[in-house]
Parts: sequence; structure tokens; C-alpha cells
Amino acid sequence: MKLSEIVESIRFSFESLKSNKTRSSLTSLGVVIGIGFVVLMGWSLNGLEQAWDKTISTVGADMMYVDKWDWTGGRKWNSIRSRKDITIDQVKLFAEANHGADLTIPMLRSWGKRIGYKTNSIGGIAIMGTESSYGRTSAGTIETGRFFTEFEDERTTNVIVLGYGVAKALFPTGNALGKSVKVGKYSFYVIGVLEKRGFLFMDFIDNQAFVPLKTFINNFGSSRRSFSIAVKAESVADMDRLREESRGYMRTIRGVTADKDDDFSINESKAFDDNIKDIRLYIWSIGIGLTLLSFIVGIIGIMNIMFVSVAERTKEIGIRKALGAKKSSILTQFLVEASLLCFIGAIVAFIGCSILIFFGKMVIVSFYPDLSFISGYLPPNLLIIASIVSIFVGILAGLIPAMRAAKLDPVESLRFE
Amino acid sequence: MNQPIIEIEHISKVYEMGSEEIFALRDVSLSIYPNEYVAIMGPSGSGKSTLMNMLGCLDTPSSGVYNFKGLDVNEMDDNDLATIRNKEIGFVFQTFNLLPRASSLRNVELPLIYAGESTTKRKQRAEEVLASVGLQDRMGHKPNELSGGQRQRVAIARALITNPAIILADEPTGNLDSKTGVEIMKLFHDLHSKGNTIILVTHEEDIARHAHRIVRLKDGLIESDEKNSQPTYYETI
Ligand SMILES: Nc1ncnc2c1ncn2[C@@H]1O[C@H](COP(=O)(O)OP(=O)(O)OP(=O)(O)O)[C@@H](O)[C@H]1O
Ligand SMILES: [Mg+2]
Repeated sequence: MKLSEIVESIRFSFESLKSNKTRSSLTSLGVVIGIGFVVLMGWSLNGLEQAWDKTISTVGADMMYVDKWDWTGGRKWNSIRSRKDITIDQVKLFAEANHGADLTIPMLRSWGKRIGYKTNSIGGIAIMGTESSYGRTSAGTIETGRFFTEFEDERTTNVIVLGYGVAKALFPTGNALGKSVKVGKYSFYVIGVLEKRGFLFMDFIDNQAFVPLKTFINNFGSSRRSFSIAVKAESVADMDRLREESRGYMRTIRGVTADKDDDFSINESKAFDDNIKDIRLYIWSIGIGLTLLSFIVGIIGIMNIMFVSVAERTKEIGIRKALGAKKSSILTQFLVEASLLCFIGAIVAFIGCSILIFFGKMVIVSFYPDLSFISGYLPPNLLIIASIVSIFVGILAGLIPAMRAAKLDPVESLRFE
Repeated sequence: MNQPIIEIEHISKVYEMGSEEIFALRDVSLSIYPNEYVAIMGPSGSGKSTLMNMLGCLDTPSSGVYNFKGLDVNEMDDNDLATIRNKEIGFVFQTFNLLPRASSLRNVELPLIYAGESTTKRKQRAEEVLASVGLQDRMGHKPNELSGGQRQRVAIARALITNPAIILADEPTGNLDSKTGVEIMKLFHDLHSKGNTIILVTHEEDIARHAHRIVRLKDGLIESDEKNSQPTYYETI
């Protein structure tokens, strides 16, 4: 097939599309809705991914947590529960042995606490007891104020660093610093607020508050609590080595014999990531399912309209054949026409979605200022993808009607009125 | 005389209508030589259009032999037939059969598009033939902006654009008043005197008398095939 023939087909298509504007716009509308739907969904899913990635990155890709509990929950719950607690002595031995780590930080936590300020209060908070070095990890990045110091580690000062969510709930207007909040019967002096770490459905990550370890033990006790050890690597590349070393030290310290499995877990944000993969897969498969559905509906719609178009233009096809059009020419013409319709639809959809997304972002951000990182425009390569896909859809939808047109008998078609 | 352009021998066309067989053509044999001007006459339903469609390679016979310029048409596939229609045959229809939304120029250049001719050549040639039928100032008009006679001239220009071996006209004056009909017949007369080969279907004696040979069909059979010794004559321009 010659290029000139395709060029002519495009010209013919424009002429015929122009002459039947209502039908053309109706066909395009189907494509606009289909492509628009897909693009908007892609944008939303992308936003979710961004939120998730941001959440993950604040947990710290260079961090691992040696813990009695397993984040993935993959192993048997019973065998995990029967593990012995990690004691303060084991933490100390581990810290002394583990020279390969950048930081080794002991942590204790108490779930489900309520924090109050004056008449405000928020429940379901995890109170964490840790050391000043936690402030040097990405998870401990401060938004306002400061993390506690080594000096405060040693004293049993009642200072507290609030997670973003806690600060927001207790001090909606800001300036949490210097205020005195209550956890149970104990009062704490707020010295810092952490940066926001959890986005969208991961908000709960910000419902934490940090106090110095010794203060924690004094106030909440350490019996029947298992320590966890936050281990920070020099770099992400160092993680594999550090994990194996940490595992070795911990096995020795806890007296695990060679024939036994680890009686502790080493948790990483990566494991967390694996865990969320299912959810992610679920969301994407719904997305892809709906996409396919909209494409199938779109293709059937275009196909129908192309059938009508072929039937209406039987005479024209007859004339063209009498003048020497080959089957392939007729086929090309209808395929080009269907593709052109879809292509125009895709362009309109792209422009429409760009406008929607621009304003959509403005609206979303006005309600959830934390989500200001989501993108307010469509990536240009999406335009290219949408165009190619639309042309492909056009060809797919136009194929059977175009074949019917190509096969029409010239004498019969010429007789058609 | 030289080789015939068209040579059909014992051609039949049968339509099966349920259990009934309708013979549109029965055992028709005919040869058309270069620069002949033939009228095919006959009452309605006698098979004139069927014969024309066959000669124009739009339709294939149920039986018989058809040689076009010495080539066996029965041996040809769809693409070969399309090429013959494109390069060797110029159709002129009773109902003009122009593309309604295209300008005269665009309509006329259509066969050259399918011949793969370049844009500039197409345009130049289309202007040429439109001028030769006297429509140099109607190139941009669409069919609904033209009179019936002008539309038929556009159709004739379109038939001429590829310099076909033969022009097939099925009742070209059937939709025109008699005065306009005469103008179109003058045009055919000119084309013939310039060397074109023309086959014309008509059921009007007046029109048929323009041709130099008259073939009469009845019930799918050739009734007579005679020379017209005194064709209607016009001064050539
Ligand atoms: N597709 C078809 N199916 C069945 N019969 C057909 C078909 N086409 C033509 N016929 C029959 O063949 C015969 C010849 O038809 P044709 O159209 O050639 O006549 P015609 O001489 O051109 O008539 P008119 O002067 O009315 O145009 C007619 O009896 C017609 O009914
Ligand atoms: Mg007829």
C-alpha cells in the first residue's frame, strides 16, 4: 500500500467526517469517554502510588528493625507469639557487636494510648520510647522544634516529640511547641513535631509520639515489653551485608542453635512494600479491568457506527470500485476513518482531562493540603500512548465493517439508493 | 481492421431466484474494435445493463469467454479487474454517480488517485479534461451546485481522465431533458471523432442513431447487430 493512498484516505475521511458531524461527534464521544476514563484512572492510581512511595521513603530504605514481631505476618502467628521477648541486655550486646551499622537504636512501644491537651485528646496513639539518635534517621525528621538530646536520654525528663497526626489533632492551629500534653496521668513537654510521613490511607503512621527511652520505662514500665532495635545502614547498598551480620549477632546473643530457625524477625520497609503489593495489584487489576471494559464498550460502539456508515455509503463504495478502487483501498479508507475518529477523540479526551486534572488538583489540595505533591498535569508521553492506543482501537473497531465494505459487490452497490 | 478491444463469445448471465433461473444474457457474442461507436438498444429488462457491467469488468459472466485486449478476463482476480476498470474503462452512468460532497475537480481526479498518480499531475490532468468538456469555470463546484447536464459532463470528464480504451455509457441522457441530452450527445460525437471507442446503452431511437453501429437486445439475446449508415452528424468543434 502506498503512502499517498493513506494520505488520500485521510483526506477522504476528513471530508466524510465533516459531512456527517453528528455521527462523527457521537462516535468520538464514546472514545473521549473511554480514553478520558482511562487517563483519569491512571492519574488517580499514579497519585496513590506517589502517596505510597512517599510513605515508604519516610519509613527509610536504609533502616531495618530487629523485632520479636514480623511485619509481613507471613510466618505462623503462634510461633511468633511464643518467641521470647528481646531484652535490654540483648539490645546492649547487639549494639556493642554491630560495628557495621551507622546507628543502633533501642525502641519500646506502647500501643493504643490516648494523648490529651486541655479539652482536646486523641486515642489509638503508639508511644515510642527511644534514644536521641532516632532523630538522625529519616523516620525521625523534624518539622518544627527538635528531637531530644543525649542529655535528655540520660535524664528522665518528660519531653515528647509528636507525630504529625497527633500534633495536628491536638493543636489544629499549630504551635504545639512548649505545650504540656498528658499521656495517662503523666505530663510531657512538647519539644518537636515530626514531618508528615503517611499519606492517604497510610495516615496512621503519623499517629505516634516519641519520648526518651528511660522516661518511657519510668512511666510505662518495661516488663512484658519486647524491645525492638532500629538499625540504620551507612547506605542502602549496605543493607544486605548489614542484615546478614545483624542476623548472625542476634542468633548468637539469643543462643539460637544451628538447627533452629531465627526466633526474631528483621523487618524492612521493603517487606512492608511486599505486603502492600497485593493491595496495589488489586487496585491496578480493577483499573485494568475497567479499562478493558471501557475499551470493549468503546470498540463495540465504534464498530456499530462504522457498520451504519458502510451501509449508508454503499453507493459511494460502488462508485469508487467502478473507478478502479481495489479492495485494499476501500479497506484502508474505512480503517483510516475509524482511526481518525478515535484519534480525534483521544486528543479531545487528553485536553479535557488536562483541564479536569488541573482543577481537580486544586480542589483536592484545598481539602487535603498534604497531597500537594500529586501532579496537576498529564505527562506528555501519555498523549503519545493515548494516540497510539486510540489508532489501534480504531483499527480494531473498524476492521470488520471495513472488510464488509471492501467485499461489497460493485454492481449491487451501484444499484443501491 | 486491427485487433478488437472487446471480444465476448457465448456469454451467459444467469441469476438464481430461489428455484427459478433468470437468464439476463443468453449466448451473447460481440466484438468491439478501436474507435467504434456502438449503441446497445432493447426494451427494459432485455439485459443491456447486465451486458454493460460485464463489458466494464464490474460483473463476471456465468459462462462464456471474455477477452479484453486479448487478455482472458475470466482468469483475472479482483485486483486485476480493478486495474482494468481504472486504466482501460471509463464509465458514464444515467444517474451521474458523482461523490456528492466532492468538488468537480476532486470527483474527476478520483480515478487517478487509485492509479497512484501524483497530486500535481492529477490536478493538472483533471483541469485539462474538465476544460475539454467545457467546465473550466466549474472546477470547485459540488454536484448539487451544477445542472444535470453539467453533472454529466463532470462524469464524462472523470471517465476520460485515464485515457481509457473504451467508454461505457449506460443511458447517459436518461436523466436529462432533450436539449441537454443533445448537448451530451454532441460531446460523445466529439470524443468519437477524436478517436475514442464508445459503447452507449439507450432505449431511445434518436439517441441510438448517433452511433455508427446498433446492437439490439431482446430477452438476453442479440436480435440484430447492424451498421448505421447515416449516423446523426454534428460539426466537430
Ligand atoms: N441481481 C439480479 N438478480 C436477479 N435478477 C437480475 C439481477 N440483475 C438483473 N436481473 C434481471 O436480469 C434482467 C436484465 O436486467 P438489466 O438490468 O440488464 O436490464 P436492462 O436492459 O438494463 O433494463 P432497463 O432498460 O430497465 O435498465 C432483468 O430481467 C432483471 O430482472
Ligand atoms: Mg439498465
